[in-house]
Amino acid sequence: MTTTNARIRFQPAKVRIAIIGLLVVLAWVAMGYRLVQIQVFDAPVLAEEGLSQRLVSRDLAPQRGKIFDRNGDLLAMTVEAQSLFAVPNQIEEPLWVAQQIGGLLEADSERLFERLSSTRDFVYLKRQVDGVLAEDILGLGIRGVYAHPEPTRIYPAGEVASHVAGFVNIDGVGQEGLELVYDEELTGVPGRAEFERGLDGTPILQGISDIVPAVPGVDLNTTIDIPLQYQAQQACMEAVQRTRADNCWVVVLGVETGEILAMTGAPVFDPVSRQTLDPKCDRLEDPTECKMFSNFIVRGMYEPGSTQKLITVAAAIEEAEVAIGTTIAQVGDVLELRDDACRSAEDDLYGCYRDFKEHETRDMTVAEIFTRSSNVGTIMIADRLGQKRLVEYIEKFGLGRKTGVDYTVESPGVLNFAAGCETCWASAAIGYSVAASPLQMAAAYAAIGNDGNWITPHIVSSKTDVDGDTEVAGIETRQVVSSGTALLMRELLASVVERGTGVNAAVDGYRVGGKTGTANKLGSDGRYTDDTRASFVGMAPISDPKIVVAVVVDSPHFDYRTGGAAAAPVFADVMEQALHRLGVTPDGEER
Amino acid sequence: MTVRPAGQPAEGDRLRVLSGRRLRRPTVAPWMIMAIIAVVAFLGLGFARTSLDSSAFELAELNKSIAEQTALNRQLNLEIARLENPARISPLAEELGLVIPANIHQILVDLETAPPVVVERAGDGANQ
Repeated sequence: MTTTNARIRFQPAKVRIAIIGLLVVLAWVAMGYRLVQIQVFDAPVLAEEGLSQRLVSRDLAPQRGKIFDRNGDLLAMTVEAQSLFAVPNQIEEPLWVAQQIGGLLEADSERLFERLSSTRDFVYLKRQVDGVLAEDILGLGIRGVYAHPEPTRIYPAGEVASHVAGFVNIDGVGQEGLELVYDEELTGVPGRAEFERGLDGTPILQGISDIVPAVPGVDLNTTIDIPLQYQAQQACMEAVQRTRADNCWVVVLGVETGEILAMTGAPVFDPVSRQTLDPKCDRLEDPTECKMFSNFIVRGMYEPGSTQKLITVAAAIEEAEVAIGTTIAQVGDVLELRDDACRSAEDDLYGCYRDFKEHETRDMTVAEIFTRSSNVGTIMIADRLGQKRLVEYIEKFGLGRKTGVDYTVESPGVLNFAAGCETCWASAAIGYSVAASPLQMAAAYAAIGNDGNWITPHIVSSKTDVDGDTEVAGIETRQVVSSGTALLMRELLASVVERGTGVNAAVDGYRVGGKTGTANKLGSDGRYTDDTRASFVGMAPISDPKIVVAVVVDSPHFDYRTGGAAAAPVFADVMEQALHRLGVTPDGEER
Repeated sequence: MTVRPAGQPAEGDRLRVLSGRRLRRPTVAPWMIMAIIAVVAFLGLGFARTSLDSSAFELAELNKSIAEQTALNRQLNLEIARLENPARISPLAEELGLVIPANIHQILVDLETAPPVVVERAGDGANQ
């Protein structure tokens, strides 16, 4: 046969095909090897590397909680604003850009120009601007100017609630008021999101996604009534104008609940600009002097003057040392507890006590002493009580220690009974040698209104979180005097308004009770001056008190230096609004 | 009549070629089944993936819409709160001549002794 015997001949084409085939096979083998290497041996490492490039992690900022008034109206909330920034090396004409943007942002163009000309990679033009304004600026199409969303805190009630809500800084951290007290709870818990992203940065929908959602901050439901707060603020502003006082403070307290219904004063401040709203500030060269945010009602201390007599007389009645009708013999208008203390009317020393008005020495009942606000008579009552028991009752009524109100840096007040002070008890009996905050005084009066039960004043009634409402805890109640003593004291307070020093505090249709206070201020030399703090603390309706209002007017003009002239009209104004707001049934006669 | 045994059939007679095709039950090769399964699985997987992607897109759109509506809701609440601010309303009310009433009369009714008051609507009587 030819096939078996044929001589093998060299065929170049077949060799070439074989070589190419071999090369192709080798190439496939190499590719296969590489494939196996990538897909099998190196797979875990490469997969991890790839994932690390795609996987990004972001913090999820929680929504800061809102603050509401007692009617559900907003006092503070967080909304999204836009923060404008620039990349200076992308700005071609910084001067022109600064002029264009400066006008729209109401910012200093020169400072903007400096920022835009800097060598930094990133500069803020203005943070937290309104979205519409940001759109207007971005609409100019300036290269190198961008915006990113950023939360900003808004206070819809503005200055009306500034002394309650307080404010946060630009980074949303509480700095004052409830924003500071409840900062941690309002802030919430940040979340975290891990997800795969594509080349353009958008999340890959079916990729790895691990999201721990942020827990929003709790909402605070306060006891503040914004319309009443506004009325109180207006009344204070009018009082400052009328009496030419430095400032005025007012607090409205629910007698049976300890709820603070209003807490404000004059001047107030704008929580956004953080500037005191006072005409005086416009005339000051140094604007830092107009950064008065401190809430005097909680943090302030003043000698309460005659408003303190409520505690002295209540203690004496409770301890059965006197009754309302008890006659105190020979009550003069001057009392000297140290020799030669009253050497002249212009230069009293410690130990000299005078009544506000001169009168003949005569017998006076306890009721008359209280109604006429006799200092000498009250000291004589306190003498029967003794210093130990007087101090005991002052402390029981909450003076000299913090009330526990949910507000920052509360003042505990001062009880000055230093060892060796022979006259401090007498001073304390009439409201000197004792320093209290207006809130402490309001709470003490509320105890009398509440049948002798003292209640912790508070601003936040409940908190709302994802699990629902939670009532606030820590409201303390304690019996400081019997209900019988409280009833008698209420009648005495009513007599002060009906025929005593507090007639300006009367409210049409309601029986009102209260006490005036006029305390001379200490001068820089440590001696009392003619400058006063005029105050009035009272309650209504006397038959079943619902509301206590405390007013302090600081340094009124001499013509208005008494509590009856400066503070009582503010009290009447605020109390009337409060009674109507709460729909309290009248118990008095119409005038 | 004589009987003879039947003769053996000739070689050619035993193997006969029948005309026409023999009928067989149709069979499918295993590789084809596997291929069909693979194709169906591939298409199914693609469909499922597309459906999931589509749902994810819808979800993303819905989330975006929720975020927008929430932001709008916040803005509207804020607007309401600003409009309700007494510091804004009070000056406007004063401009319109509105004042807080000087004399507020409250009528107290003793519900235990006062006779019940029947209020009839105008339309009720006409119908009856």
